Amino acid sequence: MRKVLLTATALATALASTLALANDKLVQLSQSEENWVMTGKNYNANNFSKATQINDKNVKQLRPAWTFSTGVLNGHEGTPLVVNGTMYIHSPFPNLTFALDLANPTRIKWMDKPKQNAAARAVACCDVVNRGLAYWPGDGKVPALIFKTQLDGHIVALNAETGETYWKLENSDIRVGSTLTIAPYVVKDYVIVGSSGAELGVRGYLTAYDVKTGEQKWRAYATGPDEELRLAKDFNSANPHYGQFGLGLKTWEGEAWKIGGGTNWGWYAFDPATDLIYFGSGNPAPWNETMRPGDNKWTMTIWGRNVDTGMAKFGYQKTPHDEWDYAGVNVMMLSEQTDKAGKKRKLLTHPDRNGIIYTLDRENGDLISADKLDDTVNWVKSVDLKTGLPLRDPEFATRMDHNGRDICPSAMGYHNQGHDSYNPDKQLFFLGINHICMDWEPFMLPYRAGQFFVGATLNMYPGPKGDRQNYEGLGQIKAYNSITGEYKWDKMERFAVWGGTLATAGNLVFYGTLDGFIKARNADNGDLLWKFKLPSGVIGHPMTYTHKGTQYVAIFYGVGGWPGIGLVQDLEDPTAGLGAVGAFKKLANYTQMGGGIMVFSLDGKGPYDDLGLGEYASN
Amino acid sequence: MFLRVFQGFSRAGRCAGALALAFAALPAVAASDTLRICASEIEAPYSYKDGSGFENRIAEIVATQMGRKADFVWSPRAAIYLVRDGLDKNECDVVMGLDTGDERVLTTRPYYRAGYVFVTRADRELSIDTWNDPRLKQMNSIAMGYASSAEAMLKKIGKYEDNANYVYSLTDFKSRRNQYIRVDPARMVNEVAQGKADLAIAFAPEVARYVKASTVPLKMQRVPADDTGTGDPIAFQFDQSMAVRKNDRALLDALNAALAAAAPQIQKVLSDEGIPVVPAAS
Repeated sequence: MRKVLLTATALATALASTLALANDKLVQLSQSEENWVMTGKNYNANNFSKATQINDKNVKQLRPAWTFSTGVLNGHEGTPLVVNGTMYIHSPFPNLTFALDLANPTRIKWMDKPKQNAAARAVACCDVVNRGLAYWPGDGKVPALIFKTQLDGHIVALNAETGETYWKLENSDIRVGSTLTIAPYVVKDYVIVGSSGAELGVRGYLTAYDVKTGEQKWRAYATGPDEELRLAKDFNSANPHYGQFGLGLKTWEGEAWKIGGGTNWGWYAFDPATDLIYFGSGNPAPWNETMRPGDNKWTMTIWGRNVDTGMAKFGYQKTPHDEWDYAGVNVMMLSEQTDKAGKKRKLLTHPDRNGIIYTLDRENGDLISADKLDDTVNWVKSVDLKTGLPLRDPEFATRMDHNGRDICPSAMGYHNQGHDSYNPDKQLFFLGINHICMDWEPFMLPYRAGQFFVGATLNMYPGPKGDRQNYEGLGQIKAYNSITGEYKWDKMERFAVWGGTLATAGNLVFYGTLDGFIKARNADNGDLLWKFKLPSGVIGHPMTYTHKGTQYVAIFYGVGGWPGIGLVQDLEDPTAGLGAVGAFKKLANYTQMGGGIMVFSLDGKGPYDDLGLGEYASN
Repeated sequence: MFLRVFQGFSRAGRCAGALALAFAALPAVAASDTLRICASEIEAPYSYKDGSGFENRIAEIVATQMGRKADFVWSPRAAIYLVRDGLDKNECDVVMGLDTGDERVLTTRPYYRAGYVFVTRADRELSIDTWNDPRLKQMNSIAMGYASSAEAMLKKIGKYEDNANYVYSLTDFKSRRNQYIRVDPARMVNEVAQGKADLAIAFAPEVARYVKASTVPLKMQRVPADDTGTGDPIAFQFDQSMAVRKNDRALLDALNAALAAAAPQIQKVLSDEGIPVVPAAS
């Protein structure tokens, strides 16, 4: 129960308790195994289900129960939501949304087919993906809402019951190069949305809107003056060595911060106890590092921001002055564990694109550990836990006077946008890893009238543990303990495990692969227990829900995104897609485009066991 | 149709070996009765696949003067790649229009000299004589090419960041990560004519044709010298040369002789194009 403070004004109190109620309702919904109310399952963003009907003993009996095609090709990232017996499905551009009744998925309950400015697809950097939806449970006056983002920069609130547009507004202006691919995030009565388009001069920002009206509550930038960064008075007071005030300007040359990037298009987590939301800002711009001397704060930063005010309590910059495009927007997973000193701590764990998995104290931002995602990471020798700074190896830097060979990870990172999972019972994080390195060959081509083009040719290929002759062995799946820093098990995969993982109390970890398998492994030892070949490759993560006593596992298929860019756009030049086309040149031998979801259960048990369901019946 | 967002090699050269194939070279033996000219198909108004580029015409004049047949070795890629992917690979022997003294090559004596200009609508009667002009500070849509002297100057006077978004719009926000993207000079001029750009700053030869053809009267005014007094002064005038490989001195001498003899004809091409040439540097 929320204690009413006598000192607060009546209005503020009323407001606060309303907010708390909506929030509690979403927390409550997320605790039920019948629901999957947000991309990461719950505010801990741990993709962990307590359901045990499907477990390591019987998982090999998993069979398809039903399927649904979105009708859209291109890459399908993220995961569908399930709330109170309805599944909400999103698609890449043109950003369709479908609601299906789980009791009878025969007829589409509702569908939203937005009209969008087609120019948006030209602006999007890496395929036309979308990462998912958000749900707000309603308050009696305003109906439950589904929030979606559109590639053309709009955020839309749909009536969750009918699919009608409740409100719609422009968050990002594609006329200035800003698109939206991120899944919105609901906390209390706010819907929180990031931004994309760093390379196009977009200065990254995060915005909170009132779920009911779309009214902007606050907006916080990743670069620039402190007021616009929204730094709390005690910002980084626990870790002043991270840097505190004035740095959003001082760590840039001139006014370069105005086009400095630091967008956020990844995932969020929230802790109702600290009232902070956690997320990462992305890479600095422009891409060519020589054009932006300085640390480029606060790009590449893990943020903890107060959700009501947007004010930042802490910010830890992982990769000062990025040279590799290690955009820092990856998943933040929250856990409560006992640290090495025996102290119970509230933690945040973040597998970064730069090949380091960071664990911070999420109450104050203390850096607790920074381990390599794989021992082949080489741009950094180690991270100094006292200063928080990476100790770089200049051999694997990307300078204009240096041919970088075998830089690990590649620009795609050892971990990208995949939403991973954490099993609190086992204290294990299950990580989908890219095992890809790159050569970086800079060049400077003069032209006439003093003009020139500075660039680099990127070639990507499997990391040292993969098969470099045959361009396979581009991925790994690993079980990680953030306290000991040890990997309990790891397995190689043919391609990157791009989409992320699902953990269940049935001693299982599920994930999809680019070549089109959904797989289940034993959480304790990584043994492969079950797999199924899907119509197309996977770049999203599996989810699970229980409906009418049956546990289901669902997953998007639909290859694409950055790793699938060559396949989707029919590119053959190996250096295209910043080198991704070369790295994944064998992908098309295994899968082709597609788009939809598949739903599995033990023995395929499901709504259509009733043969009459969905049948035409004449009167 | 999927838009190719990441373009490594050109749309036409869809092959890992695109470098070699990108140049549709005629028989490999370079007979001395032909002049193999490296030429971009997409570099209007300098060079265009139908031969309408003004430097295509100059190349023909020079070849004729040498008593050779002009043999254009076309690349579907931008001209910026011609030296690396054409000349240095012996696919062709001459590159038109490099800055005199380019260290990668031997350059001929300049066959013209030109400078950057402001392109404005005649009806705006805008005359800007100094980079400190307060009107420049108020402008938010200045069309220009990436990595040009114009861009360097805008950085110097603190106008670059506020204007960057507008410039990105001129290339439809195509990602410039690791790929060369050119701002189409015809579009720059059109933006000025339509009043969408306050002005364009461009190398005169690159825009002269479009300024001349514009139905809306436009004006080209030579940009003032860098008068900011800070840093190294930014150059706005450039001598233009033909170029050959460093070991090809005989061809260089032959070109120099032909350029001198054909000067009046070259002058006519430049003047037909509408390029305000400036006197050669002494």
